Parts: sequence; structure tokens; C-alpha cells
Amino acid sequence: MKGKILKLCLLIITVAVASACSAGTSKKASTSTKMGVHPELSAQEKLTPCAQCHKDATPEVYKEWYDSVHGIANVKCFQCHGTYEDLKTSPDETNCAACHNAQYLKRPSDKKCWDCHPAHHFFIHK
Amino acid sequence: MGLSRREFIKRTAALTAASYVGIDLPFSNEQEAHASDADSWHKGTCRLCGSGCRLELGVKNGKAVALRGITKSRTNMGYLCMKGMLFYKLMGNNHPERLKKPLYRARKDQPFKEISWDEALDIAAKEFAKAVKQYGNDSVAYYGSGQALTEETYIFQKVMRGGLKTNNVEGNPRLCMASAVGGYITSFGADEPIGSYTNFERASCFFIIGSNTAEAHPVLFRRIMRRKLDNKDTVKVINADPRVSPTSRIADLHLQFNPGTDLALLNAMAYVIVEENLYDEDFLKNYAVFRMGKEKKQVDFAKYKSFVKDYSPEKAARICGGNITPEKIRQAARWFAKSEGTMSIWTMGINQRKRGVWANNLIHNLHILTGQLCKPGADSFSLTGQPNACGGVREGGGLCHILPAHRLVKKDKLRHEVERLWGIPEGRIPPKPGYHTVAMFEAVNQGKIKAIWINCTSPAQSLPNCDKYRKGMRREDVFMVVTDIFPTKTTELANLILPTAFIFEKTGVYGCTERRSQLTAKAVDAPGEAKPEVWIVREWALRLAKELNDPVIKKCVEPFLGKEPDYELPKAIWDEYTQKLTKGRDNDLRGATYDVLKKLPDGVQWPAPTKEWALKGGTDIKFVRGLDPLADKHAKNDLPYQFYGPAHPDKKLWIWLRPQKGPAEMPDSEYPFYLSTGRVIDHWHTASMTGRIKELMRANPYAYVEINPKDAEKLGIKPGDMVEVVSRRGRNVLPAKIYVGPCEGMVFVYWHDQAEDRMINRVTKDAFDPGSKEPEFKICACRIKKVSGPRPLKPFLVQMKA
Repeated sequence: MKGKILKLCLLIITVAVASACSAGTSKKASTSTKMGVHPELSAQEKLTPCAQCHKDATPEVYKEWYDSVHGIANVKCFQCHGTYEDLKTSPDETNCAACHNAQYLKRPSDKKCWDCHPAHHFFIHK
Repeated sequence: MGLSRREFIKRTAALTAASYVGIDLPFSNEQEAHASDADSWHKGTCRLCGSGCRLELGVKNGKAVALRGITKSRTNMGYLCMKGMLFYKLMGNNHPERLKKPLYRARKDQPFKEISWDEALDIAAKEFAKAVKQYGNDSVAYYGSGQALTEETYIFQKVMRGGLKTNNVEGNPRLCMASAVGGYITSFGADEPIGSYTNFERASCFFIIGSNTAEAHPVLFRRIMRRKLDNKDTVKVINADPRVSPTSRIADLHLQFNPGTDLALLNAMAYVIVEENLYDEDFLKNYAVFRMGKEKKQVDFAKYKSFVKDYSPEKAARICGGNITPEKIRQAARWFAKSEGTMSIWTMGINQRKRGVWANNLIHNLHILTGQLCKPGADSFSLTGQPNACGGVREGGGLCHILPAHRLVKKDKLRHEVERLWGIPEGRIPPKPGYHTVAMFEAVNQGKIKAIWINCTSPAQSLPNCDKYRKGMRREDVFMVVTDIFPTKTTELANLILPTAFIFEKTGVYGCTERRSQLTAKAVDAPGEAKPEVWIVREWALRLAKELNDPVIKKCVEPFLGKEPDYELPKAIWDEYTQKLTKGRDNDLRGATYDVLKKLPDGVQWPAPTKEWALKGGTDIKFVRGLDPLADKHAKNDLPYQFYGPAHPDKKLWIWLRPQKGPAEMPDSEYPFYLSTGRVIDHWHTASMTGRIKELMRANPYAYVEINPKDAEKLGIKPGDMVEVVSRRGRNVLPAKIYVGPCEGMVFVYWHDQAEDRMINRVTKDAFDPGSKEPEFKICACRIKKVSGPRPLKPFLVQMKA
């Protein structure tokens, strides 16, 4: 059990760090795409919408998302971050391109999408 | 901030009744290919809702690996919802459960066995021929889909009508948009919306009634959301619905009325518009008349005024209940009438009503009264639920009373015109419309239909009161062919299952809500022996001709003989339909050839009589001179709008006097709650596709029953408790979601779940609108009771038993 709690804490820290980085404090960290670390769940437990747990587990991130245009338009966590088997804390940018392909193609080559459009808030620009 | 894993899971269980029973869904864990791997991209249309989002399929070494939106598309501007992003996972060999071989059993209590296509087509032809010979032409039927390509619906109905001499041609659009068709024809004289999605960016007031746009049409909702967020103070959003939904998040005013009181609400808005002189006198004088009753008697404005006098906001508020106040009704009417452009949007909440056509008429009334039509941002716009309900079924002749290109079966001249265009003898198509959907499955129950072909839909789950109709489908003397891509509740009842190609595995056109036809060409191979429907129908028809010794059946497919099935065959069918059948009709599509459609990022809006016009995208707003080529062609005077619709000989818009009528079944002491049904964003229809995509299934693995917190408290129901929902027809047991969504006295269940205990159409009522024949899925009476605390649950999808 201790190990699992540790894994959960690690996830929370990972998300929090990614979130902080994407707010512009560290370009280096924000440009890396990491495979997410999630507590091990059974197949049954995986049948739980991400936001249901993250509303409590990462309330700040949840609120940022809920109040954003993604939240209003019901763009859900898995659309950017993937699901358990391919979970990425920082999304693969081709997932952004599913809806924002024109912007993806013309973005500066040295930047990630969230360098200018803060993750989970998605303002037009920082 | 950290939660222990125990707490994390405990909260999850309390919210959803998710269990700890390990069950493995057949989701592959292998590393999947992604968009960055694609070596080519292919244009097409989304397979799911009726928005018509354009997208590109990424293909790597013949395998579908990703989907992305097309930025230049005028339907979605590049945006996709989660379903649109992910349905590539169902293509080709990406999903292990795809149907790949024809399957047959002589009796429905036997297991299926794999057979060859030759054997399968022979069996289908012999069984249909046997029924025709023994019981007559009306003992056979086709039940199709708003998800079939236009070419598919067209060739199926051609063989049924011209070949088998029956109008027993129906489809699931009867269940979702038949009332909208009735409304458009009786109010405007022509089916389908006048305007386009472009009005989303031009409207100053949105009146959203009976539509959870945010979940049912998410990409269109994004456009409305954007318009509202960019113009917070000047654009008003009114959301009228018995249930607060994600759509309500952008609303300035939420009108929460009791189910079935919508007609009173709409008449009360008209009352305010008349009382406060908010109507457009010139528009009324130039373009409108008032009518009432079955005989369509014309009356004057004074009569209409006296009619609406019975719907004062004070009286309507008492009828409507919920949160409705007279002041809210007045506010809504004023915003509606005074805005520079008001756009109404609705879907099943209005259409799936005992008086769905009347509800449509009353929305149109508000637009005609206020002149909120034909100008920028002004539109009375019914959203359609399926990708090709409009293009394939409404326009292609996919219902029992209509022939291709908006022709009525019962009109001799139009019927004979079709016979002439098909080169078949006059009188070949019977003059009597066939069975509408509920009547068709009632006829199956009664053994009047002996052979039925169900294509690309699952009525065993999607019909209201479905247990009643599943009995008929189980009859051993009813031969049932089902064409589909996955096992469903309906394939469970079939004799013959034919595996079909999915979108992007074949070529054809979808026509979305805004009169726009869009081509999707084949980009990947279908799995196993799955075939395009157009090939299946052609080969079946040739065998039928032999079995029945009837050369006219062969004549129906003669123009298509020898064509390869992936492109040339559907192209030939599309050419026949557009060049011959739509010529001179209001949905003239002669300019929208495959070559033209391929050149455009999206497609063509009819009327599009020439290639030049089609290459510009076609007609954005109907009936406006200078914008619609047919408005110029049919102009009778110098007025800017020409309402040339074929159903109104006076070429006027009709304002109808329609009284409030409640639902077929009202709550009572035994069944005290209203039951309503609808959608969630992650799933679509019977979930046979979305349930097989792990991200979507995990997002919503089970149906639940939404209960207003006040009702839950009275009944001692807590989140996750298992609740029995019982009507006079059936019973479900579902986990409870306590939610300020439905109004007090109402519960709500989404209808995608295939598990017998959670399949809500076992509970709904099969009453239908006497005009449109569309069932009243949205309202029936039920009772609810807690049966236990949270219980382990399993997601469920029908699997093919070997």
C-alpha cells in the first residue's frame, strides 16, 4: 500500500510540476514530454473518468480546466494526455493538432504549444 | 493535498458505484501508432453526429493511425470532439471485434456459422423472394439508417421500390428528425433549414430549446460558445430545457419547464411578441399567412391574436412549472424579437414529442412573427443527430412516404417521374406509402413482414419500448438480415449477418444538418471479407431478379454493373441520383459531382445546380435573391425573399395556431416521475462504436439515473445507490447520480448502454406523433426506488458468440 501511496504522490507532484513549468517558469522542463506516472489501477478502476478523481486529487488543475474554454466545451483530460496505457503528463503535441493543426504547423519550432497558451487555462497568449 | 489511494478509490466508488471486480475489456495495451507516424492524410467526414465535421485520416503503411480536423472546413474549422479524434481505432484491423465474415443460422436459436459471400447473397435473395411469392410484396422491408452513405440508402430504396414493388423503406431518422421534417414542410413549405452554420458567428441571440448541444453536437456548441464568450454583453443565450445540462453553462437565461409544457411556453412567447408589438409587420404582410386545423384553414391576424391571448405569461408559467416565471417568459420573448439576428436551435427534446411537429411549428412561428429569418444571424435551425439523416434519408428517399429529392410517394406525377428516370414501367412503384418505423416493427410482431433487412442501425436497442419489438424480431418466421460492422443487440436476433466496410474503407457522401454534401473516399482496406453495402445490394438484386424471374429488378442495378465497388460504383450511383433525380428539385445537386466535392475542403450546400455554383460552396441561405439561385429562378415578384418551397402553393410562410398538448403519458400516483432520456458526450447512439474505444468507454462506462437532489433526499437515495426505474413497459436498475440537472419530479437516463439492466428503451414509451410518426422518447411516466447501496457493475457490449 505504501508503494501505491508513493506512486500517487509522485503523480500529483509530476502534474503540479508540469503545471508550474507550463506557467512559464522553466522552458526546459516544459518542453520535455514525459510518460506519466499513475498509481497502478485495476481494469475496473480504470473505468473511472479522469476528472472524477482529479477534482479532488489535483483541484487547482481541475478548476483551471473547468473554467477554461476546454472545460466549457467539454474537452476532456484524455484527449490531450491519453489514457492509462499511453498517459503523458505533458501531451504529445500532435494531440493538440487534432483540433489546432494550422496553429501547430505555424508555431515557432523552439516552443511547445503551452509555452504561449498556458496549460489548462488556455488563454490566447501568455 | 495528497489523498491516500484508499481515499482516492473510496471517493470514486461513492460517486459511480464502480466496483473492485476485475473485468478486462478487450482493449489492446500494445503501443499504438500516432499522428506523427502518418505517411499520408485523407480527407473525409466524421462518422458520428450530424454536425458534419471534416477531418483527415492519417494512414501509415495502410493502417489508420490518427484523425485531425480540417482547418478550412466551414463546418468545424478544424475542431473535433473526442469521438471525432478517436474513431480511427475502429478501422481496418485496428479493432479485433470487427465483423469479418458473413454469418448465418437458419434458426435464431442456433449458433452462427461462417459462410461465403456467394452463399450469403443466395440465402438473402431466396428468403426475400420466398416471402414475396408467398405473402406478397409488402411482406418484405428495409430498415436503414441516417449513418448509411447517400449512395447506400439510394440503391437500397431503388431496389425495394422499383425492384420489389414495396414502399416498406424506413430508417432510424424517423426516430430523430421526422418531426423537424414535418415542421419545416408545414411552416416553410420546404424541408431542411433555411440558413447555415455561418449564422453561429452572426447571431445576437440564441434560443436553444430541447437540445443539449454541448454534448450532442459539441463542435457546433464550440462555435456558439466562442460567439458568446467573445461578445459577453451583446450576445444573449436562452436555454429552455427541463434539465440543466452542460449547455446551460453559457446561458444568460435558463427556462426550466416541466416536460411536455413546451408548447405553452412557445405560445406565451408569441403572446408577448404580439402584446408588446414586437412583430415585424412588413415581413408578415409580404411573406406570411395564418392557418389552423387539419384542413389548413387560413385565418387572419386578429384570429391569431385571440388564439395567443389564451397563453398569457402568467398562465403559461403555471402550466410550465419548473423555474418559469412570467417575467422570464417576457424577457426571453423580448431578447428573441429585438436582437439583430436570433437563431433557434433544437433537436430531440422538441422532435421526440407526441406533438413534435406542432412544437417545431411554434418555434418557426416566433421567427416568422419577428422576421427573424433569411437575414444574417436569423435562423430557425433544427440540428440533426446522425451524419447522413439529411443527405441520405431525407433527401435520398429513405422513408416510407418519400422518394428521392423530396418527392412524395402519394403524388402520382412525382412517382411516375421517378419511374421514368429509372427507366422502369409506370406503376412499378406502389402509390401507397409503406409502414413507418413503429408500424413496421408492429407488422414484424404480427408476422405480416416475413423478411426484413436492417442496415447500419440497431432497432433492438434504439426503438422505444424495445422489448415489445424484440419479440417480433425473435420470431422464427421472420427472416432478418443485418448489415453492420460490429455485433449489436440486433445482430443477436438475426439470421444472416453481413460484415460491411466502415467509413474511409469505402467511398460515398454524407449530407449534414446544413444541407451540405461531403465526400469521403476510401483510404484503408476493410478487415477480412467486409464489403461496401453498394456492392452487397447490387449483387443481391441480381440474384433477386433470377429468383423472382423479374428483369425489372435487374434494370434497377443495370447502370451499375461491372463497376469496381470502392469508387466507381458509388460514383455511378451518386451521378444517377444527383444528375437525374435532383435535377429541377429544391435540393438540386447537379453541380456537386465527386470531382467538385474532392476539390473542396468541406463540401457543397444545395441548391447547387451548376458546377460553378457548387465550387463556391453552394447556397448559404435559401430563399434569398442573389444568394440562392433558385430564389432568382422562381421569383414571382420584386421582393428580396422568395419562398418557393414545393409544399406551399401560395409560396408563403405559414404561422400555425397550435394549442398546448401534454405528453401521451403523464405521471400519476403509481408512476409519479417523468422519465426523459438523452446523450452524453463520450458515447453515441447504441455505443456499438464508442463503447469499443477505451478512452470513451472509460469516460462513461455505465448509464446512470440522474435524480434531482430534492427528490433523492425524499426517497433516501444517495450517490451510487442502485435505483430501480420502472414504467408500465419495463424496468432498469441503474446507479444514481444526484445532480441539479433534471427538474424536481423528473429523472434522466442516457440511452447508450447495452446492458439489459441499463438499457433504458426497455422502459420508454412507443407513443408517436400522429403527424410525423416520431416516437415520444423524451417523456413517459415512471417510478423509482432504491434497491441497494452501490454495487459492482460491469460495462457491457454484445460479443459475437462463436
